[in-house]
Amino acid sequence: MRQDGGVPTPYEPATVRAAAAAPEPVPAPSRPPLVRSRAAGWTPGVCEAVARHLGVSRRLVRLAFVVLAVSGGAGVAAYVFLWALTGEEDIAPQDEPGRRWSERRRWLLYLAVGVVIVLVGLALLVPGVGVDIRGSFLVPVVAIGVGAVVAWSTLDDAQRTRWLSSGPGGVGWLRVGIGSILALVGILALMTRGRSVTVVWDAMLAALSVLVGALILAAPWAVRLWSDFRREQVAAARATERADIAAHLHDSVLQTLALIQRQSADPQAVTRLARAQERELRTWLYDGPTGSQESLAAAVTEVAHEVEDVHGVPVDLVVTGDRPFEQHGVALSRALREALLNAVRHGAPPVTAYVEIGPSGVEAFVRDRGTGFDLDAVPEDRLGVRQSVLGRMERHGGSARVRRREDGTEVELRLPPIEGEPT
Amino acid sequence: MSPSSSTPSGATPAGPSGGSSGGGSGGAPTPVRVVLVDDHRMFRTGVRAELTEAMSGGFPVCEFVGEAPDVDTAVAVIRRETPDVVLLDVHLPGGSGNGGADVVRGCAGVETAAGTPVRFLALSVSDAAEDVIAVIRAGARGYVTKTITARDLVSAIRRVADGDAVFSPRLAGFVLDAFGAAAGEIAEVDEELDRLSAREREVMRLIARGYQYKEVAKELFISVKTVETHVSSVLRKLQLSSRHELTAWAMGRRLV
Repeated sequence: MRQDGGVPTPYEPATVRAAAAAPEPVPAPSRPPLVRSRAAGWTPGVCEAVARHLGVSRRLVRLAFVVLAVSGGAGVAAYVFLWALTGEEDIAPQDEPGRRWSERRRWLLYLAVGVVIVLVGLALLVPGVGVDIRGSFLVPVVAIGVGAVVAWSTLDDAQRTRWLSSGPGGVGWLRVGIGSILALVGILALMTRGRSVTVVWDAMLAALSVLVGALILAAPWAVRLWSDFRREQVAAARATERADIAAHLHDSVLQTLALIQRQSADPQAVTRLARAQERELRTWLYDGPTGSQESLAAAVTEVAHEVEDVHGVPVDLVVTGDRPFEQHGVALSRALREALLNAVRHGAPPVTAYVEIGPSGVEAFVRDRGTGFDLDAVPEDRLGVRQSVLGRMERHGGSARVRRREDGTEVELRLPPIEGEPT
Repeated sequence: MSPSSSTPSGATPAGPSGGSSGGGSGGAPTPVRVVLVDDHRMFRTGVRAELTEAMSGGFPVCEFVGEAPDVDTAVAVIRRETPDVVLLDVHLPGGSGNGGADVVRGCAGVETAAGTPVRFLALSVSDAAEDVIAVIRAGARGYVTKTITARDLVSAIRRVADGDAVFSPRLAGFVLDAFGAAAGEIAEVDEELDRLSAREREVMRLIARGYQYKEVAKELFISVKTVETHVSSVLRKLQLSSRHELTAWAMGRRLV
């Protein structure tokens, strides 16, 4: 009998409800949005859509429409309105949609709406009941009422919840309340028109009610249009981003992989390619398109990468702090480059570099793991490089020192802080 | 490093060669039981092969007792095997965070058969500093990059198994930066959690320069044990400090 194991409904026998209540509470199912099924057959499927949306019997909906159509044509108007404005989707038509009532409040609301509709219908059918009204007034009122309900129902549960819960402290409910009161006033004004209130007041209220009605009608559509627009925008942006990533991967990673395959016999080349590509990819992924030479840390990092690329020896660089890139910084980065080249050429890996940029100046250390060397046996060019490192640092108010260690060499570079900065 | 103080445990014959001096740390007879947690099978295979090869010369330093590709499996395997050391990738599928920290938290209180807590060594290729810090603050004993040589990895595992901390140069650089030590902030007393002491700063600087622990010790005229104490103390500060910059600084920054 129960097809979907949903929440027990008042329509089911008590035994079934008791049996269904035994398992753990099922989260309240969300109501399906009001859309018509494409496979509905020869009718537009309005009744079925409404039935599925409200979770009531299709027969009941049809009956309601017929009653409304007979009583002044409101049912026809509502039907056409719904037909024109609800979307179509591929949903398998259900013989008997599951009756779902997620909240008792909603059910009471529907009951109230139904009572109002029935009362209005009766009033129309029996002119002598007390209120003397003409159909020409009632039809728009009913149409507006039904339209508003329908328009609001078109939003699915999640959207409506968001709307109602938006704003601090139940502003959403306030909005709904004010809207309802206004609508009521508008309807009253229409009904008592030309009798107990002045014509101006009456016209104003009528205009106001139409305005409010229009607003109530328009708001959900505006929301829907806007959300559709946003969804399309996001989708387009995602597609563009995807294309960008694909293009970049093609230009970089795929090319490098091809190169690696071609040079697979040369492990050093493979290492160099892989390392360079890894670095490039990492920069692209994490650093964004900055690549500026504005800061000393960035300049120093670039120098280390360049040395790595030229010689294919990995350089482990650690930088702490940062400062603007000025002429002394240029000197330091050049000296660092020389020191790194030296370490890479003459020392043994791993080559490590540490640059500390602080308020008391800059200190840079380059370290390799060579077997050590005899200072006298150092070839002239290396000594020359050392001199140039030393000389360059001294010209910029800094210092350089080369230390021989048991298992390698360490070059220390120092720069004073930038003038004008507190030390 | 004093080779004379070797204490051959049990029936170790007095070999004149002194071959296994590479590790240098005690020469414990039982291998370290290791669980490897990484979501890339290729990487797991690679690490195993590399470590096995690096150990093929001497006695086996570590023994792989399990591996896992995601958070849930990792927690299950670690709880079952209670290894000495877990090599842990920072990023893993599953879990509420990025994975690594979830594993550490999920295994809180698990002890080995010998009664020591299971220790974690973060091993990662390139991650946001905040993720690495998250794993360390969850309780990992150290962080090394996947580009580490097999020999260094073996000694790092050994060190972590002994309860010491392992800092890569990058992590040391991060610590100097995040604790403001690079900018000259120094703790007045050693116990201060939000700053490094002068000695800790020196040790961190040397590690950032690529020095091994024994080189640090020699440079500062202190013992390796003291260096280890300093590093452990820095690790403790990193785990316990409420220093605001520690997380703020880590946001959006990469260690590699």
